[in-house]
Amino acid sequence: MRNWRYIVYIVVISLAISFPFYAGVHPIHVATTILSLLALALSWDILLRGGQLSLGVSAFFGIGSYTTVLTHLNWEVSPLLSIVLGGLAAGVVALVIGLAVLRLRGLYFAIVTLALTFIFIVIVRNLTDLTGGAIGKLIPSVIFGGDPAMIYWLTLAIAVATIITSEIFQKTRIHFALTSIRNNEIAAKSSGIDIFKYLLFAFVVTAVIQGVVGGVHAQRFAFVSPEESFSLTFTILPLAMCLLGGSFSTLGSVIGAGGLGVLAEYLRLMMPRGHLAIYGLVMVMAILLMPKGIVGTIREQLVRRKTASS
Amino acid sequence: MKKGILLIAVALLLASSLVAVGCPRPVLEEPPVEPIRLGAVNPLGDITGRQSAQGMKLAVAEINAAGGILGRPLELIVMDDEFSPAVGAAAIEKLATVHEVDIFIGGMASGVHLAQIPILAKHGRVTVWIGAASHLVEAAIAALPDHDWYFHLHPWDYQQVEGTVEGWAAIVEKFPQIRLDRMFVAYEEGAFGAAGFAISRALFADVTIEGESFTSAVFGGGDFRAVLRHAKEFNPDAFVWVGFDPDALGMMVQAKEIGFAPPVFLGTPPGWPVGFGEIPLSEAVWLYGMWSPELKGVSPEAAHFWWAFIEKFGEEPATYFAPLGYVNVKFVAAGIERAGTLERGPLIEALREVRFEDTAVGWPLTIAPSRLIRHQGFTRQMILQWQGGRQEVIWPFEVATAEPIFPFPRWEDR
Amino acid sequence: MLAKLRQRDYQILIAFIIVAAILAFWRPHVLISGLQRGSLYVLIALPVGIIYGILGILNLAHGEFMMLGAFFAFSLVTLTGIDPLIAMLPAFPAMFVVGIVTYRLTIKHVVRAPLNQFLLTFGLAVMLTEMANLIWTTRPRIVWVPYAASSATIGPITFGTFEFVYVAAAAIVLVGMFLFLTRTRAGLAAMAVGQNPRGAKLVGIDVERTYMMIFSACLAVLGPIGALFLIRHAIFPGVGGPFSLRAVSIVAMAGFGNLPGILVWGIGLGLAEAFVRSFRGWGGWADIIFFGMIILVVFYRSYQRRVR
Repeated sequence: MRNWRYIVYIVVISLAISFPFYAGVHPIHVATTILSLLALALSWDILLRGGQLSLGVSAFFGIGSYTTVLTHLNWEVSPLLSIVLGGLAAGVVALVIGLAVLRLRGLYFAIVTLALTFIFIVIVRNLTDLTGGAIGKLIPSVIFGGDPAMIYWLTLAIAVATIITSEIFQKTRIHFALTSIRNNEIAAKSSGIDIFKYLLFAFVVTAVIQGVVGGVHAQRFAFVSPEESFSLTFTILPLAMCLLGGSFSTLGSVIGAGGLGVLAEYLRLMMPRGHLAIYGLVMVMAILLMPKGIVGTIREQLVRRKTASS
Repeated sequence: MKKGILLIAVALLLASSLVAVGCPRPVLEEPPVEPIRLGAVNPLGDITGRQSAQGMKLAVAEINAAGGILGRPLELIVMDDEFSPAVGAAAIEKLATVHEVDIFIGGMASGVHLAQIPILAKHGRVTVWIGAASHLVEAAIAALPDHDWYFHLHPWDYQQVEGTVEGWAAIVEKFPQIRLDRMFVAYEEGAFGAAGFAISRALFADVTIEGESFTSAVFGGGDFRAVLRHAKEFNPDAFVWVGFDPDALGMMVQAKEIGFAPPVFLGTPPGWPVGFGEIPLSEAVWLYGMWSPELKGVSPEAAHFWWAFIEKFGEEPATYFAPLGYVNVKFVAAGIERAGTLERGPLIEALREVRFEDTAVGWPLTIAPSRLIRHQGFTRQMILQWQGGRQEVIWPFEVATAEPIFPFPRWEDR
Repeated sequence: MLAKLRQRDYQILIAFIIVAAILAFWRPHVLISGLQRGSLYVLIALPVGIIYGILGILNLAHGEFMMLGAFFAFSLVTLTGIDPLIAMLPAFPAMFVVGIVTYRLTIKHVVRAPLNQFLLTFGLAVMLTEMANLIWTTRPRIVWVPYAASSATIGPITFGTFEFVYVAAAAIVLVGMFLFLTRTRAGLAAMAVGQNPRGAKLVGIDVERTYMMIFSACLAVLGPIGALFLIRHAIFPGVGGPFSLRAVSIVAMAGFGNLPGILVWGIGLGLAEAFVRSFRGWGGWADIIFFGMIILVVFYRSYQRRVR
């Protein structure tokens, strides 16, 4: 029966929403960070489905962060609205850049998006009057007065919105467009798909998501600086989470984010020093033993069982 | 592939338990009497955070060996902030809610601390912080409705520069052959360098200052030849570089290469490469610092700390964060002892009154207001000079260990 | 895979020489510093180019392996007191062994899987950095040899001379690789594998072994390069990371599979950086020049590709 799936969803969502009521403050913090990374991982995956490997997640994250802080400080915009503006700014930048950059493919696209991140860092760092330069900028208070539960719910809402977006991309016409672009561009073109339109759409939507997550991050920690807000961690970690969980699937990024996030906490607990070495080791071993990611490997298993039993 | 997943799980467990068994635990054994809990958040992956934690452990061990405070032992819990604001903030939250520490100590990076401040404010427990030099942090603390619970031992960036202004004025007066009318500042392009340059330009009022940014070796730079050439053209009385430990070698080697030897060659990294003192290019290089190993010759507390640290850990203190961590714990202990209680109000009062004539860092500690906050500890840096492989203190003259070598010897003579 | 020198490459070479001549008179320091620093970039980028051309692998841990080579040389120098230049010799076989071990344990499973390569090599980079941190801590290590700061004076110009070793090394490595790949049987076999692995297998070439040998050889070169690096730079666990990025970018700019292009773009990058830095107050924008260059060149290349 298909209904059990919806029951599972409802149970999971209820647990997630009620989390702050039964969990301690520290786990709420950890969960909030994991949810942010989850949203970033999913947004990265969405673009990946179109065959485009973006290394510019940090760029849009940073744009969102800075726009949030600057509009909040200079125009006295409310925190929530400033986060929305952060997402929009990232989207606009993605639109402009995408027109040029989305013509590239493969590794070229990846390197250019990475180069863009660094370019933004240098620009932000040198426009001292506007952005505070290398030193960065503070906002007077944390959003929601620092209430961890409210921040968690905000991040949860964004993560859920991203999941829904991902599912829309998976279940509608867009899915076929992107997959066919990824697999064989020439065939896709000849069947009449406007590759560029779809890629641009995906690029802008994912940039908006990344900008919003960046905005929330800035409001949560009340601080932006070129080194922190454009840090490559916000590209590398989501990428790792998505690939390890299983790319091209919503569930994959969810599992990857949860798994790596919990693993990181566990390692921190067990080994205050040197846990990063084990983290790297886990990544290497996971790739070697499960090249298709967790979700992909499980799917393979299920297929094998089905064909074996029949 | 189920086997594969099993394999991973087993390997993970094995690996982490193997290493965990071998590594020191963050929490000391639970003693029978309810201990006083100190929670510290340091960058344990970096030498500064690691040795700061070691300094703290040394102090805790000494205090517990002498019977503890108010009849209770001290318990130290150290967490790693991994130089990440999110991780550092979560660590504070964990220390507060899971470990239920009484007092927060430690710290190093300013960016990390900014993220921790809202959480610290929320809990309102007494915090004695030895990290964060950025004036942005001071502004953030001052913006809180109440910050009585916050004590800051590390000098603020502007205080460090104020100290050097004062120091140079004194040096120039005492040694008339030394002049400081023109200064060239090469600064790394990040927050550390930019702040250092901006504040220097503001506070060194009578000095003509030019500056130029460079990419530090930490971020893949390390080529300073262009900057050094511009400095050479400027012909300064003093050349100052504001950067990080790995830049030190490159600066000296490349300065020699282009034949640049200003009368005063000064570096301000937070630390120096291993064995820097042994290379001939280090002779007569000036530096700013909060501490020097040579203070063990003039300060009894510094000497005691030096030898006790080596005995306990089998390595020398390599950064000023080592004695600073030690002082952190000793200061807190003195405050608790004086107050006779852990209650917030009396404890704050008592900490405010604590006075050390001499500390492991080598000089006295009192609490007084800074520009924006109530409770500031150390306010100055020292001016030192590498001589014969040792960091000799030149100023303040009360703790000086040597007289300056001036001018900077020519490269050909080394 | 290996582009023979084309008409366009000759044009680039001539443009190069003209620019060099101009700089020699107008801003000689830019020419010298740029050449020296650019050669270091070329040295580090060449192995990346070869590994990518033949194995199709982009090794994100490349800089970390160089760091390993540098620390190996450092340990040798501090333990036995030999000169770092001499330490270059044992560093080669040491890193060769590291290459073989790394290949057999990890790389060979991801040879034609680009995404997994990313993650795998990134995981390796993290592991290597952290292990180095556990052993040597983050405190920078240095070795001192007097000739590291040797300098010469021609007329009004005083400049460093040691880094010309980088120029020489880059030339040697480039020519050596070129000759190996085009004149030896093993090298030709490797090129065949790079162009068409299946075809090569059919013809009887041991593809697996070729992959392993090429990968290990490229990693082995990082041993002596690390030793050379050590002479002029303080080393610490994180020292390699930024160079990984530069190496990959230069290879991308040259066009994947174009070895002489790496020379051109590596030196070009060094010169561009030095040029921008030579103007007071513009140093902060030098990075933008680098990344801007990458973007422009990548666009030009992909435009070329589509036009063809």
